[in-house]
Amino acid sequence: MGVRLSHDWRFWLLAVALLALLAALLIPRLTLTRHARDLLVVIDVTGSMNVRDYLEGGEPVSRLTTARHAVRRLLADLPCQSRLGLGIFTERRSFLLFEPAEVCENFAAIDGAIDAIDWRMAWEGDSYVVRGVHAALAIAGSLTADLVFLTDGQEAPPLAGGALPPFEGEPGKVAGLLVGVGATEPSPIPKYNEDGREIGFYAEQDVPQENREGPPPEDAPSRAGWNPRNAPWGGEPATGTEHLSAMREDGLRRLAAQTGLGFAPLRDPASLSAAVEANTRAHPVDVLVDIAGIPASLALLALTTLFGLAALIGHRPDRLPA
Amino acid sequence: MSRIIEIIQRLVGDFGVDRPLLLGLAILAILPFLATVFARQGIPAIALAPRDGISRTVNLVLRLAGSVAILAIVLGLSGLHRREQMVARQGTGAHLVLLLDRSSSMDNSFADRAPSGDQEAKSVVAKRLLDDFVARRARDRIGVAAFSTSPMPVLPLTDHHEVVRAAIAAIDRPGLAFTDVGRGLALALSSFADDEDEASRAILLVSDGAALIDRKVQEALRDAVARTPVHLYWLFLRSRGAKGIFEEPPPGENTPQANPERHLHLFFQSLGVPYRAFEATSPQAVEQAIAEIDRQETRPLTYFERVPRRDLARPAFVVATVATALLLLAKLAERKLARPVPTVAAARQEPALRRAA
Repeated sequence: MGVRLSHDWRFWLLAVALLALLAALLIPRLTLTRHARDLLVVIDVTGSMNVRDYLEGGEPVSRLTTARHAVRRLLADLPCQSRLGLGIFTERRSFLLFEPAEVCENFAAIDGAIDAIDWRMAWEGDSYVVRGVHAALAIAGSLTADLVFLTDGQEAPPLAGGALPPFEGEPGKVAGLLVGVGATEPSPIPKYNEDGREIGFYAEQDVPQENREGPPPEDAPSRAGWNPRNAPWGGEPATGTEHLSAMREDGLRRLAAQTGLGFAPLRDPASLSAAVEANTRAHPVDVLVDIAGIPASLALLALTTLFGLAALIGHRPDRLPA
Repeated sequence: MSRIIEIIQRLVGDFGVDRPLLLGLAILAILPFLATVFARQGIPAIALAPRDGISRTVNLVLRLAGSVAILAIVLGLSGLHRREQMVARQGTGAHLVLLLDRSSSMDNSFADRAPSGDQEAKSVVAKRLLDDFVARRARDRIGVAAFSTSPMPVLPLTDHHEVVRAAIAAIDRPGLAFTDVGRGLALALSSFADDEDEASRAILLVSDGAALIDRKVQEALRDAVARTPVHLYWLFLRSRGAKGIFEEPPPGENTPQANPERHLHLFFQSLGVPYRAFEATSPQAVEQAIAEIDRQETRPLTYFERVPRRDLARPAFVVATVATALLLLAKLAERKLARPVPTVAAARQEPALRRAA
């Protein structure tokens, strides 16, 4: 004679567990839409990026190191099927190292490439950041990628009259982000000899303090020693603080407004991913997601309840059979 | 203690879980040893049922089944998988660094003019043929370095050729001013620094010109080549009017300044490593040279093929299903001890399941 199973909660819990497990095995994978991004990351490798004004673990580290760490974090945070390309900026050009490639499959190589970026890759001392950003936008446009440009915004020589060169592209056509690297307080720029050894810091007269290309500024006649033919910029060497470098937030914000890019200062390496997410375009990609875990959890719950409850109920029945 | 950890690591080294914290739930697997799926039934005395081996075995099997079911679900939920494996295989191939000239002269055609109509720029030709070359050499580990005014590491040695081809795709972008071969070569040699494999190593230099190599850099290169023996291939994309590297120039003009390409060739020959130069004056010649390199670099190579990660969640759920089904079968076979008229004879008939209960 059988036990009346329909009255036994143990039977029902076991049945639920078995059905849930069968469901876990048979349930199809769900197609979900994730947001992948195509990015071109361009890193400024000019001399001012060697300024050590970040702290990591109590040690001062250079802007370039921090920028590298930030980009490696960004690479790790990008969902699969995103693509990332890499370029460097110096002089007035952005130089493409490789076109965007899928980030998960090629992770180690891209990570190694980011880590190998060095100021020694720079081929000129000049730093026309505005032109570099314009050039990078053209490259990103041709790759249909969004731009992430990491720079401290230090123009060397400084912009003539402080005015931005005109932008020939269409503002906002390429989405992206200008990332301001560096602290807001000025710091001295390390100086290296031709063998790449550090030999001190740039002094005031080591760097051009004023851009003396093009027509002289309107206030030139009031300068000491001014002569319209022999000394159109005044007779004295220009003085200033161009040998000290801080992140030029105002200039970068103006450049961002001119080109339709977003702007975010880089406070620490971890903050880059969120800023990139907010300022670049995501395109949907389909990913298959296994949802077998949901019915399997139910089965686990049923089995745990079954054995747990059975263990809690006293070892002895209330009464002996009659 | 450390030995035990080592043994455990060797056992589980190939396996991993995505959500390790969920493994804590594995403690639930002791519950089936505290309770069973059967309703507790009172019997006046345990001595009524004789002890027998079958009952004990059934009891143990059912408790284990409950335990296994819970453990398998927990493992499945925590995302048990076998890690990506590297399987060593023997094949032919090489560890190769592509050293690419990104100077602006590469943007001109072989006639040394701005590319127009049917004439491709040298960089476009190099890009197309190198892309084919990489596509054919599936087993090579390939790194990329570029040089122009300064040397630029582009990619470390990698098995993933998609990113290598992305780097090759970038070489027809406008280049920079100069051609610093020496430092570029030093950089390419340093790419092998971490490469301890005994594979054949090769550097494929693609350039359309050369410049003087500083004496200091020359010495550094000799040192580096002595430390890291490599096969060197130079694919010289010779423009019309440029001096060849194989012809002996007339006396008086044979100076490094006047013939930097020829002297680079002589320098490479003096390095004492297998070296071959290919002078290509047209896209077809480049193609032939690359095919020749393809043939040459086919030494035996131990390469690693990746066996992708295998998810074991579903097999775990299958185990859990079987174990649960066994429990359910046992449950369906459950019989009440108490009969309307209990007799000693009836109690003796079904000892096995009763003990299990």
